[in-house]
Amino acid sequence: MTVIFGMTWREMTRKRVVLLTLLLTVVFLIAFWFIARTIATAGITAGLDPDSPELLIERFTRGAFLLTLGYFFGAFVVAFLAIFTSFSAIAGEAEQGVLQAMLPRPLPRWQWYLGRWLGYVTMGILYAFLLYAAIFLITWQHAAVPRDAASLFQAFLLFAMPVPILAAVSMLGSGWLSALGNGVWMTMLYGAGWLGGMIEKVGAQLPLGTDVIQPLSKVSGLISLLMPVDGLQRKMLAVLFDYRSLGALLPVGANPMNQFAFGQVPSTSFVVYAGLYGAAALGLGMWRFSRKDF
Amino acid sequence: MSAAAIVADGLTKRYANGRGCRDVTIAVEEGEAFGFLGPNGAGKSTFVKMLAGLVAPTSGAATLLGQPIGSLPAKRLIGYLPELYRYQEWLTGEEVVRLHARLCGLDRITADRRVPRLLEEVGIGLRGRDRVKHYSKGMQQRLGLACALVGDPPIVFLDEPSSALDPIGRMEVRALLKRLKAQGKTVFLNSHLLEDVEAICDRIALMNDGRILRHGRVADVLQQRLRWRFKVGGLSDEALVWLREATGLRIELSANAGDSTDGIVWLEAELEDEEQAGWVNALIAGQGMTLYEAGCRAERLESWFVQAVAGLSHRGERG
Repeated sequence: MTVIFGMTWREMTRKRVVLLTLLLTVVFLIAFWFIARTIATAGITAGLDPDSPELLIERFTRGAFLLTLGYFFGAFVVAFLAIFTSFSAIAGEAEQGVLQAMLPRPLPRWQWYLGRWLGYVTMGILYAFLLYAAIFLITWQHAAVPRDAASLFQAFLLFAMPVPILAAVSMLGSGWLSALGNGVWMTMLYGAGWLGGMIEKVGAQLPLGTDVIQPLSKVSGLISLLMPVDGLQRKMLAVLFDYRSLGALLPVGANPMNQFAFGQVPSTSFVVYAGLYGAAALGLGMWRFSRKDF
Repeated sequence: MSAAAIVADGLTKRYANGRGCRDVTIAVEEGEAFGFLGPNGAGKSTFVKMLAGLVAPTSGAATLLGQPIGSLPAKRLIGYLPELYRYQEWLTGEEVVRLHARLCGLDRITADRRVPRLLEEVGIGLRGRDRVKHYSKGMQQRLGLACALVGDPPIVFLDEPSSALDPIGRMEVRALLKRLKAQGKTVFLNSHLLEDVEAICDRIALMNDGRILRHGRVADVLQQRLRWRFKVGGLSDEALVWLREATGLRIELSANAGDSTDGIVWLEAELEDEEQAGWVNALIAGQGMTLYEAGCRAERLESWFVQAVAGLSHRGERG
């Protein structure tokens, strides 16, 4: 399995996936640095006492907005990296004939599968960590940010959690669909999850009656069950800002026009469900791969 | 030769489209070179894929040196060159072979010794340092052979090992296969290049429409069909009739007697041995005709193959 794991990392490096991703991330971070500086300083009332609670709240509000903006983008990038590195893992290699030369080797198929998955996941999580840390540090430089280590760590785990889930679902799809078909399917599935999250946010924030809210909640709930990744991002923001204690002070999550708001916070049970969802996709994918004809 | 290296008992794979292979029962002895023949779409590759553990049988069973196919112990015994394959184009040729060496469980010292030697042996040499994406199809096929052999397996499955090679490459592969056979390896050769099969294999099986049609020793098959050709000048119709009556043989004018305008024709006949050919030579010369050339036809197995499948439906042709 370590051979396949190492091969996956080498593939990502040789195909310049890592290089291109890092280069574009640097471009994004430079842009984010300028955005953060502009937003953090623009319109701050001059002459305010640096220790005044108003200034602190203002700085924290802007920091929260910047982190939400950064992690909103970051979640997209991390998700697409997880999808596009793994969507052709089986179908693509089988179509090319690479698997036909590899699988007769004395290596259990589940180990091949797990080695590939671990390769994609470790790379995705490492990237998620770098992006998470960079966005946080840039925001910290310009505005006030939450500094509770436990919350930051929990938030990172939730930020990175879509990586193993999406890689597992993507590889599962790759065992059934063609590489192209799976790429389209995964993009649509992820898009549906995102749409479910948006419905949830809008439903929670607009002044709608119960007769409208209930069907919307059902639809968004079903979509979230189908693809729970967006819910994890909302949970991540809620954990990062310690929503229960700071929610009353900060406007994050409550502004109906704020598309980065996190609306209703998913429960811990939902996080457990997402974990089980990913584990089931991984297990089903391994089972399928072990029995597939090539 | 001793125990059976490959035993298939009623091995069957049925695909939803009706293809696959049915009830294949064969035994290949250790150290034997076995040729597996058949028209396109006959089910040969499906059968080999089952033996290599790529395809699960619908029914039946098979073992490799006593180990059930698809099991890890069985996979440790084989080297496999697939028919349609590519290697990781982002690796160099040498890295691909080293990757397969590691998958075979070879330690670094053994791999360091074996990989360069193998690359040299299959004709890749220093081009092993190039990325696979720069390789021609023939180079990929050579690389495939190196990968198949890197684990030094006792059984080698080769599915069309020289289909993409030029004549020199084919000769080199043929020589390599002969060396493998001399080393006592069991070679299972699936090929349309019947000259290779004829030169290397001890026994053959012919598959059509998913079933084994015929099988036997190559020498026996060729013995049944020893077809000779004679290039003769000055042959008249009367002389041909006389020759047929005198020999009692079914002597025919060759279908491709394109140079008959200058009085020279090709005659063909199935003979028992060289002695009988010498006798026919003498009769031709004795009748005042000129004998320019005589010899056994080179594509003997090809004739056998063509005749064996003539008139049968071929799934590959129906598409």
